Amino acid sequence: MSGRLHRPQRWAWFLERPGYLLFMARELTGFFVAGYLVVLLVTLGRLGGGETAFAEWLQTLSTPGWTVAHAVALAASVWHSVTWFAAVPQAMPIQLGEKRLPAPLAAVVMGYGPWLTVTTIIVWGVLR
Amino acid sequence: MGHGTTHPHDVVIIGGGGAGLRASIAIAQENPGFSVACVSKVYPMRSHTVTAEGGAAAAIKPNDSLEDHIYDTISGADWLADQDAVEYFVNEAPAEMVQLEHWGCPWSREPDGSVAVRPFGGMKIERTWFAADKTGFHMLHSLFQTTLKYGNIVRYDEHFATRLLIDGRGRCRGCAAIELRTGKVRAVLGKAVIVCTGGAGRVFPFTTNGSIKTGDGMAMAYRAGVALKDMEFVQYHPTGLPGTGILITEASRGEGGILVNRDGHRYLQDYDLGEALDVSDPRHPQKRAMELGPRDRLSQCFMKEMWAGRTIETRDGHVVHLDLRHLGEAKIDKKIPFVRELSRNYAGIDPVKKPIPVRPVVHYVMGGIDVDGDSATGVPGLYAAGECACVSINGANRLGSNSLTELLVFGAQAGRHAARFAMDNPDCDTADLEAQAEDEGDRIRRAWFGAPSGRGERIAALRTELHDAMEDGAGIYRDAGSLRAACDKVAELKERYGGVALDDRTNSFNTELTAALELESLLDVAEAMAHSGLERTESRGSHQRLDHTERNDDDFLAHSLAFREDGAPPRIEYRPVTITKWPPGARTYGAGSGLKKRPKGDAA
Amino acid sequence: MPAEQTMTLEIFRYHPETDSEPRFQAYEVPYDEDWVVLDAINWIKDHVDGTLTHRWSCRMGVCGSCGMMVNGDPKLTCAAFLKDYYPRPVKVEPLVNFPVERDLVVSLDGFMEKLEAVKPYIIRDDVNDTSGGEYLQSPAELARYKQYSMCINCMLCYAACPVAGHEDEFLGPAALALGHRYNRDSRDRGRAERLDVMLAGEAIWGCTFVGECTAVCPKHVDPAGAIQQAKAVAAQEYFRRFAMPRGAKDAGA
Repeated sequence: MSGRLHRPQRWAWFLERPGYLLFMARELTGFFVAGYLVVLLVTLGRLGGGETAFAEWLQTLSTPGWTVAHAVALAASVWHSVTWFAAVPQAMPIQLGEKRLPAPLAAVVMGYGPWLTVTTIIVWGVLR
Repeated sequence: MGHGTTHPHDVVIIGGGGAGLRASIAIAQENPGFSVACVSKVYPMRSHTVTAEGGAAAAIKPNDSLEDHIYDTISGADWLADQDAVEYFVNEAPAEMVQLEHWGCPWSREPDGSVAVRPFGGMKIERTWFAADKTGFHMLHSLFQTTLKYGNIVRYDEHFATRLLIDGRGRCRGCAAIELRTGKVRAVLGKAVIVCTGGAGRVFPFTTNGSIKTGDGMAMAYRAGVALKDMEFVQYHPTGLPGTGILITEASRGEGGILVNRDGHRYLQDYDLGEALDVSDPRHPQKRAMELGPRDRLSQCFMKEMWAGRTIETRDGHVVHLDLRHLGEAKIDKKIPFVRELSRNYAGIDPVKKPIPVRPVVHYVMGGIDVDGDSATGVPGLYAAGECACVSINGANRLGSNSLTELLVFGAQAGRHAARFAMDNPDCDTADLEAQAEDEGDRIRRAWFGAPSGRGERIAALRTELHDAMEDGAGIYRDAGSLRAACDKVAELKERYGGVALDDRTNSFNTELTAALELESLLDVAEAMAHSGLERTESRGSHQRLDHTERNDDDFLAHSLAFREDGAPPRIEYRPVTITKWPPGARTYGAGSGLKKRPKGDAA
Repeated sequence: MPAEQTMTLEIFRYHPETDSEPRFQAYEVPYDEDWVVLDAINWIKDHVDGTLTHRWSCRMGVCGSCGMMVNGDPKLTCAAFLKDYYPRPVKVEPLVNFPVERDLVVSLDGFMEKLEAVKPYIIRDDVNDTSGGEYLQSPAELARYKQYSMCINCMLCYAACPVAGHEDEFLGPAALALGHRYNRDSRDRGRAERLDVMLAGEAIWGCTFVGECTAVCPKHVDPAGAIQQAKAVAAQEYFRRFAMPRGAKDAGA
């Protein structure tokens, strides 16, 4: 009598379903968001360090390697944001009477809408 | 197949569906010191109550009356219901339904927050409470989840009860049950027992019933000497999906759906069921008329249409069309979303765009374990409630939406009465009962694990022959010849049953063994159905004899009682129906039919 | 009659009395485009091999008995049509993340404990008093929790959840969705009691929002959404209790 069979989870469980891979991709893009924040903090630090230090840092950032890194980080951040906006209607549903605001609309109202608005304001502020 | 330990409780309930759970709560509430055992061959939330769709009846609205609900039920039953029991049922129904509401059942609501009601077949007025079209599902889960509050309800999930244990004084004291996981047979003992094991639709091949509905409780009581009452009355629901037999709820007609034949004609108007109002007429759907006639009549109309060549032939038999298109997508999605889901998945039809093919399908057994108005059987300490029992409030034809209410009203009542019996009759010696359970384990082991494997017949072969015999012999229309043939076939199959051999001789989760035991139950129940049908030489409600086409109140205003005889056909006896205020009358449907009630003493 | 078409089912077999390792057994079954995987398994049980063990009952997608892994996906086998796989073979296994009792039957013990833990019933003092008639509940109030009351306890979500696969403390999608269902019910007064359970350890916080529970749910319950909403409620409650340690039991509405 060997009894109940227990089947332990594989360490590479995330390879078993496409949904798991997407989940891992979403979580990993978090590192890029964090990395970009570090760059931003360093930039602020250099700004405090004087005009020369800041100019040198900007010079460094304009090298092709950094440009590529920025592009990758931007793509990852955008993807991360998109997954967040996709989750918003599930995590914070808006109920109107008996109906729920449809998910795409809720994503616009609570995600893409505010995002675009804030971005527009910043862009306007910078380009003014 | 070893022996398990014995478990002493106060009340033992066999069956974890709606009635069993309602009974459990009733006892646990009223007697917090009591230990209640709930023995079920499946986890309670798998019980067949879960599939009920349309709703549960209780008169609560100002435009309704208890009197009307009583009259609808009695006339729907073709006067075979016991009128005192019906009165009790209807009077208790509203409080029971409110209780379930308090326990969390998500009833559909009116804008003012009160419970919404919908029209149902054979009911003069809309009084069917509903949770969209998953009423049974929500009721079962609300009941089951509520039982989790009570520490004194002890569940024996996946325990297959095989025998009622009767002590030396003839009192029922528990059951022997196979614990499926280990295969051990244990005695679950108490001071009173309630059987709540549901119906036996699986006697027939084409049924809405799930695989678990094999009449085990009916057969156990039958073997313990209790009569099976009114077993000839088996309900065909008029609208099942061809092939699978999946139920398309009567609520689809309550919401305005219509039935049409191959010519698009609403054929029910040709059978004394009233006038076919246009679907845009504000009076449609008319209560107690046309598509909202009673189930027995509608299923019989289908047969007549088929004989006249006006049905549609398909791979899965003849069908008519249930047309819901005029209801529109919004109403279908709000009121009967499950109908749409089932039709799409299992018939490949979107009812928003196309009519649904449907045909009559075995749905419910009106008959069952003979109990009195207190849910008590003739065996002291043994009670029964729900579809397995026959009180009788359903008589010769149950009205849609009365059975869900029945399991609440009589589940609770059986619980209270069994608890009282247990209080009044404290415990005595259990040694003999444990020995009985051990014997039962030995009997099962000898019968099924003794003979060499691979020599006998397969379970499925006998089951298929039983199905064919019952469908041919005891279907919507029967006669002496067909019923006699069914009786003979069942007798032959009972003979051959001893020659069935199992592939599986192991203990753990032996579902081939349980299938064999279920087949034995089906054979016992089928025997009672066929013989009771043969003896009743009249036509009433769902029992329609081609050789005796009229109702005969002089001889058959009586319940049939089938008593099991070892190695012989059952003995059939009769007991008069209890008539109080509503003398038998013509059973009419169509315009104004609900006005034809004439309580005794009223000038006609 | 045309020659009968067939297809192959590769079925997971394990017997607790004799086997130390599971194996797969291939069965040839008749192919019928109306058949679901469950029909094929029943056909094998009836005609070929009575020892094959599985659970089933309603075969209309509401009793929740027949959940299995079909080609790696958690499915109700009564709703998985052969025609969606034919002519390739179909691999049938018991739901993952559960101990196997035998063949396709898994143990529900852990699930039943978790279900009970979330107190899935209406908690209020007058719950057994019916004299005042029904509690009023508007259609909008009903809509706040209705979706989360549709769970049939089929446990496909546990088989799809990688956290349920390794974190015992995590109550899991179905149980949490049901807890949330009662928390959102306007008739209930038991939210604080339920939050006591949900706030403990990994009970709810184990969820990392993989979202596959929602993807596989046959009844569109959206347990992933329910859990994120419940987390927000739990977080508010956590900080409220942190800020007001005394008398903070009542979580309000």
